[in-house]
Amino acid sequence: MDTLLANLTLGFSTALSFQNLGLCFVGCLVGTLVGVLPGVGPIATIAMLLPLTFNIDPTGALIMLAGIYYGAQYGGSTTAILLNVPGEATSVVSTIDGHQMARQGRAGIALGLAAIGSFIAGSIATLLIAALASPLTKLALLFGPAEYFSLMVLGLTFAMVLARGSVLKAASMIIVGVLLSTIGTDLETGEDRLTFGISALSDGIDFTVLAMGLFGFAEILRNLENPEARAILTTAIGRLLPSSEDMRKALPSILRGTGLGALLGILPGNGAVLGPFASYSLEKKIAKDPSRFGKGAPEGLAGPESANNAGAQTAFIPLLTLGIPPNAVMALMVGAMTIHGIIPGPQVMTRNPELFWGMIASMWIGNLMLLIINLPLVGMWVRLLQVPYRLMFPAILLFCCIGIYSVNNSPFDVVLTALFGLVGYALHKFGYEPAPLLLGFVLGRLLEEKMRQALVISRGSFATFVERPVSAGLLVVAAVVLVVAVLPAIRKGREKAFQE
Amino acid sequence: MQESGTAKRIPQDLGAGLFLVSVSLIALWQGADLDAGTVREMGPGMLPRGLAGLTGLCGLFVATRPLWSSETQESLAGWSLRGPVLIFGAAFFFAYAIRPLGFTVAGPVAIVLAALAGRETRWVEIIVFAIVMTAFCTLLFRVALGLPIPVAPWLLDY
Repeated sequence: MDTLLANLTLGFSTALSFQNLGLCFVGCLVGTLVGVLPGVGPIATIAMLLPLTFNIDPTGALIMLAGIYYGAQYGGSTTAILLNVPGEATSVVSTIDGHQMARQGRAGIALGLAAIGSFIAGSIATLLIAALASPLTKLALLFGPAEYFSLMVLGLTFAMVLARGSVLKAASMIIVGVLLSTIGTDLETGEDRLTFGISALSDGIDFTVLAMGLFGFAEILRNLENPEARAILTTAIGRLLPSSEDMRKALPSILRGTGLGALLGILPGNGAVLGPFASYSLEKKIAKDPSRFGKGAPEGLAGPESANNAGAQTAFIPLLTLGIPPNAVMALMVGAMTIHGIIPGPQVMTRNPELFWGMIASMWIGNLMLLIINLPLVGMWVRLLQVPYRLMFPAILLFCCIGIYSVNNSPFDVVLTALFGLVGYALHKFGYEPAPLLLGFVLGRLLEEKMRQALVISRGSFATFVERPVSAGLLVVAAVVLVVAVLPAIRKGREKAFQE
Repeated sequence: MQESGTAKRIPQDLGAGLFLVSVSLIALWQGADLDAGTVREMGPGMLPRGLAGLTGLCGLFVATRPLWSSETQESLAGWSLRGPVLIFGAAFFFAYAIRPLGFTVAGPVAIVLAALAGRETRWVEIIVFAIVMTAFCTLLFRVALGLPIPVAPWLLDY
């Protein structure tokens, strides 16, 4: 406990420095902005801003990028409640009861509940990260290549099962992602692989290029096909702070949502997206009068909102302790760390304690800032929605081009990004999700490295993956998860969960 | 938006599967010269080839999904050409104009090209917007953040 306190003290002293406070604020502000704007996601934004962090020290850079991520979760709920437009995928559930509350003239209270729930969830999740970090890191140091390999297989299996749409298609995307990661120089022999004779590809495909192409560019192409729906705020926002009576009723839901969200967020493979759905079903199931749900029940908003924020926070746990990104945004964090010469993994905590604990402390500070950014300024965010998309997308495109060009000062990177944009558009038309591809790509190189190391140690015997108990255990869990997901009965439930 | 009559009748999964198969074939062709090695000492070609094979296999499963899956099939339709061509064109122009011509040319042209991809084009609005954005980005990225983006090498050596 003492060390935890000492660590948190170190963290807060880092995070409270003038520069880091400023960066945290900028991150939260930008995050809220992209959260509010539908069609601009946190993935594209972080990829876009990555080059801008070159001149900042790594701690500040990561604090800012993390702020964008959880800031977007807050912002996404604002539009979900007020306009019935979920700004982010995780706030889809909030439209159900949140928007109903707004239509009944309780918009301000809905916003207040969402923000306070998110803040409570964020605070608890931050504490959870701090508490779990040390033991998990110690565990990770015991991991050999075989265990790492199996853990990544488990993570990818989760990503496959939790992706929207068919499991087969998600699996295909992961495999293509890993395949793309083999482009470039071979780790051991230094031979060029699958480079089409293009020397710029010898270093492999840059992560930002792939991410910005599949998300930034492809998002524009997809949005261009949908007619512009101009959302107009019709209801008054009204009182922002929920009464103590409201709070007393909502608190149990907030705590349950936090627990569920935090638990699912830790799962490798983007469990965080499930949090809001799970929380909504739970609240509905245990409510005395489930018929109120869908008609503006505060529990149906407070629970999922807390779950989505808790999950967004705990998703940092696998990244910070094991060096394994559980979702596409965390994969971008890996990119940001490597740009600054930090190899993600258990050694970060011992080698860069101020970065590690500073980032954790900044999350709590960021949550506090978001409370302030979101509630009083909500009118400003809504007005931003009036910026027409016909002006927004050329600007996004220009930012993407500048960002990509400045990573390596390479025109080829810009063209490659645009090419991946076309690929992303095609994937969308074919009904594939790009997120598992990106995750496969990021884990691919690590996966190959660990697999080859493990096989060298075991002298070429694949049995090593099942002979070592921890590795075998992880693989068994992966197999069970996969089998369960393709069983017909459960598959129906999964489809239903995504439809709701 | 262009929709051809034949595309409407092709199931989405057939196209999706064939897409994977072609990715697999390209990878196999590119990796043909690589030494696969043995399991004990893996060569550089082992993993790319294995993954390409798996991709192809997935492709076959996806392509034949209409035959064995009970899910309702969507059709492969509604591809537009205008958006992808213009957006790609805008990025392509930006990439190869930024060094010789600088941001003062690459920026506004990219914006206008991209804007043409939209449903409605208001010329005055977009030209004003292009100029404002170019000035804003020059100030933000070059002046404030110091990124090495050539602004107008033919005019100012900057």
